[in-house]
Amino acid sequence: MEGNFNPHPASQAPIETPMNRSFQTRTVKSKWKSQFTSSLFVLPYLICFVAFLAYPLVYGIVMSFQDYELLSSKHAFVGLKNYIDIFKKGDYLHTSFFQGLLGTVKFVVYSVPFLIIVGLALALLVNSLPAKVRSVFRTIFFTPYAISASVMAVIFIRVFDTNAGLLNIVLSKFHLPSQIGWLTDLPWAWIALVGATLWWTIGFNMLIFINALNEVSEEMYEAAKIDGANAWQRFLYITLPSIRKIMIFIIITSTIASFNIYAQPFLMTRGGPGSETTVLLMNVFDVAFGQHKMGAASAMALLMALMIIVISIIQFRLTREREE
Amino acid sequence: MKKYIKPILSIIIASVLAVVFIAPLLWMVSISFKDDVEAILPNLNIIPDHPTVANYVNVLTGGDLNVPIWRWVFNSLFVGVVTTVLVVAIDALAAYGLARLDVPFKNVILAMIVGTMMIPSIVWFLPLYAEFSKLQLIDTYWALILPYTSGAFGVFLLYQFFTSFPKEIEEAAYLDGANKFQIFYRILLPSAKPALWTLAILTFMGVFNDFVWPLYATNSDEMRTLTAGIAIMTQGSYVNSPNKMMALSTIATIPVLLVFLIGQKSFVKAVTQSGIK
Repeated sequence: MEGNFNPHPASQAPIETPMNRSFQTRTVKSKWKSQFTSSLFVLPYLICFVAFLAYPLVYGIVMSFQDYELLSSKHAFVGLKNYIDIFKKGDYLHTSFFQGLLGTVKFVVYSVPFLIIVGLALALLVNSLPAKVRSVFRTIFFTPYAISASVMAVIFIRVFDTNAGLLNIVLSKFHLPSQIGWLTDLPWAWIALVGATLWWTIGFNMLIFINALNEVSEEMYEAAKIDGANAWQRFLYITLPSIRKIMIFIIITSTIASFNIYAQPFLMTRGGPGSETTVLLMNVFDVAFGQHKMGAASAMALLMALMIIVISIIQFRLTREREE
Repeated sequence: MKKYIKPILSIIIASVLAVVFIAPLLWMVSISFKDDVEAILPNLNIIPDHPTVANYVNVLTGGDLNVPIWRWVFNSLFVGVVTTVLVVAIDALAAYGLARLDVPFKNVILAMIVGTMMIPSIVWFLPLYAEFSKLQLIDTYWALILPYTSGAFGVFLLYQFFTSFPKEIEEAAYLDGANKFQIFYRILLPSAKPALWTLAILTFMGVFNDFVWPLYATNSDEMRTLTAGIAIMTQGSYVNSPNKMMALSTIATIPVLLVFLIGQKSFVKAVTQSGIK
């Protein structure tokens, strides 16, 4: 505060505001009054938070211990039955959960490396452009992020169409195999899903990488150049270590995002061919709204959330230990 | 000479990639102007042989697709705008209270809010549906709007802004006899405008583009939003009239693309700030 312009030079006593200590140690009554009016600021949000987030969160845990049928009003307490069923071989819930989990894990494994490498490559590319055109290309690569999942699906169902699809037509122009069933055959269905995901979301990772790259000190590059390090060595020994933190952030957020995969297979491949691209969230929704078993679906959702949280923690630990 | 090679090479690679990124959108617009015959032909014509606006007329007058498109447009815009106003208002109040005022249990509340940001939303999605179902609010605007008001992101974003706002200005205002509400309304809100716009843009885009919640929270044709409606149509025989689907998709993309391009700068800033520092 010292040295700042004081609009009221006459008053030298500490200013009492709801923000500082002198105010809070006034009489009990006025303290309460102040706390009350301050709470009014937070109240509207807190009501929404409790009603539409905290309460459902707790209610979801309760539901997972119930035989909660969507269309009936009776919700019998069944203890751990839903969870036991999920782990009981041959049970419908077991198949639904683990088949879906397999699809989800496959998508995570196929997509995350590309989400990171392509995101970083795009960021390096944009940064290597002359300053004048940089923002134009940044905007272009980021624009698909503004498109809704539904529209993305409509576009890519057509792009990947076997007969009239953009991709197969382009391939035929180059005299490459062009009768590929992108959404109906393997491994093409996975390639199509990962490709569409990259187009749709990669701009976000690119932006964050660009931001991180801009904070790497120019001097270190200069020093390395003088020492005779080539571009690849500079990337390996200066760029990568400097953006470590952001890299961890991107790995974790991309893994979580890919684990939550739903729109792309639900709208584009409908889980096919067979049940190959059927992912866990699709089955959670199917058990909840198709089979009307809300309780069992809640148990599946909670297990899924638990896995996501555990994976994030493991990733965070692994990447941090390497530093020490 | 040599120093020009690298930037030129970069521009060439970036341009090729730019074509790849724009092509799907361009193709959507292109097909939406093609007639029924040309739309299903396997050709690469970006400019249609016989350009026509018939698909747009057809879609907007409820022709072949037979869906209440104007109602969907209204629903999407209404839900998007109302939710955005609500979220910005309650998040700004809460963020200011938590950042600057003597709110009891402030740290507990903050920890709770930030903690939920790490929990995947699927956990409360199903019980939320059960809750609205019990209240008999499924298929109403209440169901389409209220769940978005609990998001912690906006509070977190504005909290960061308010904690970095210089305290001296507020203290001077208290000396002049202003109360908390006056200070919030007359001093903090105007200076928080850029942050508020960022939140507004992100909220509008998120709500307008979300299809999963509106898909399950509505069940009549009249209550669908554009994205939920289109999502359902991708599952039906509508795929057989790609030109009309593309026209509908173009219509659904225009509002959000406009908001995106206008708010791009603040959007980019917000996204980069949401990363760890």
